[in-house]
Amino acid sequence: MWYDALMQATAGSRQIIRTSTEPGQVVYRHSIATRITHWAGFIAILVLVMSGLQIFNATPYLDASDKSDPGRRVLEIGAEQAPGGAQAGFLRIGGWKITTTHVLGIGDDGQGGETERAFPGWITFPGYQDLADGRRWHFFFAWVMVICGAAYLIAGALRKDLGLIVLRPSDLPKLLPMQLYYFRLRKEPPEHGKYNPLQKAGYTVVLFVLSPFLVLTGLALSPGIDSMAHPLTFLLGGRQFARLWHFAAMVAITGFFFGHVFLVLSTGFFNNMRSMTAGTYRLGKHEGVGP
Amino acid sequence: MKRALFVASSMATALAGCAKATNALNEWKPAHDLVGTAQALNHAVIGTRGNARLYSDSEITQDFPTNGLPTPTQAAYQSLVRDGFASYRLPVTGLVERPQTFDLRQLRALATLSQTTRHDCVEGWSVVGKWGGVPLGEFLKLVKPKREARYVVFYSFDHDDQGTQFYGSLDLVQAAHPQTQLALDLNGKPMDADHGGPVRLRIPTQLAYKSTKWVQRIEVVDTFKPIFGGKGGYWEDNGYEWYAGI
Repeated sequence: MWYDALMQATAGSRQIIRTSTEPGQVVYRHSIATRITHWAGFIAILVLVMSGLQIFNATPYLDASDKSDPGRRVLEIGAEQAPGGAQAGFLRIGGWKITTTHVLGIGDDGQGGETERAFPGWITFPGYQDLADGRRWHFFFAWVMVICGAAYLIAGALRKDLGLIVLRPSDLPKLLPMQLYYFRLRKEPPEHGKYNPLQKAGYTVVLFVLSPFLVLTGLALSPGIDSMAHPLTFLLGGRQFARLWHFAAMVAITGFFFGHVFLVLSTGFFNNMRSMTAGTYRLGKHEGVGP
Repeated sequence: MKRALFVASSMATALAGCAKATNALNEWKPAHDLVGTAQALNHAVIGTRGNARLYSDSEITQDFPTNGLPTPTQAAYQSLVRDGFASYRLPVTGLVERPQTFDLRQLRALATLSQTTRHDCVEGWSVVGKWGGVPLGEFLKLVKPKREARYVVFYSFDHDDQGTQFYGSLDLVQAAHPQTQLALDLNGKPMDADHGGPVRLRIPTQLAYKSTKWVQRIEVVDTFKPIFGGKGGYWEDNGYEWYAGI
């Protein structure tokens, strides 16, 4: 019922898709499949990152090796006796170490107190330390994420407009001008289609590089998958190395998330939100609907 | 200054709210049950296929850890430790044609499988070790599981702080996997008390919490529902998945 209402509300705008467009024109930008998979995917990523940090806490270090190897430890979060006698939290990356008490190493226990744990309770899922339940949420939303990603790609292929989001060689010369425009060093953005060249670069990397990499590095941690497909874990440098890659890819996608939110806020928040809820969007200058 | 304090304290309140919200979601049964459904999917898709990677002996982890639950302190186990496991007996009961009890000499005679594999802990770390012992599939042929048999349950000498006995289970497919074994040796020496001796289960295609240490007796069953918490293992009764291939 809500779907029919939505379709009716957006029916007019859906009919005005044209190849030639002008600024200020309202176009139908995001299909219902894109909007649903976007928001379901957002929830999935949120839970995956938070439950992933919960899982990380059970072994709060990362080794660039197959079996665990303190000699190849790249990152470690922990607590140790500080010179004054009190316990202090620390983050160590390679040879670089900082005190992180109250945030990392020692922090929120998720139940109103403080305790020794790598990531604090306010950023893990669930808040209190519980590896079993962290895994439970992680695996469920891993499936949600994979299904959302596949549904998005299949729907785009069926609509025959998936290519609009893919970075092409002809976009490359426009990357710098677009970046300069974002930095307010250029008055006008370069002429572009549905997505600007920087969006295409970002989305292409996230959709076709980072997301598959996150899935593969996660699967490589599983002894059952490793038994079926030795080369996967092997190519990643082993099980512990796969865990390091999985974590690094999580940091990358979290970075993308903050950049994305910043740009949604700073490039016409209401227009952007309208396009990802109702589906309609008012075109800006030099913006089109094509490739 | 006051304003900075106000901002800081409201941020702290908001952050504390985060943990409260995720805790509440986790404890809300419909959500908890829903996210638990992924286990069946993982079991169906990954299952028990292929073999765990084999390592060379030079890759064996030095200073081999003794993780998991502490070595059992119960009198029954401690008296076994004192006589060097000479009086150890392994009874196999339940849905089998030929229930039998094995002593260590008999088990050693059946120990044909030595393999250097990686031991993957659910916590995230891994070690490489060499386990020698009895292939479980061959072992089960001796006692002949009945047609209705579905699971093999391993009871451990170990108990937690509350006195709950440790146990675990495999289905017959996992039990018959050629790398699943009743391990008697670790890194070329008889398994000591701290590493699960004299007999521990070892299933390298799954996470290590399935590899029950200090096996006291084996029971073949058609369902594990009536046993302890009913989830098929001590860790399973404590929230971990029964299928631990992932």
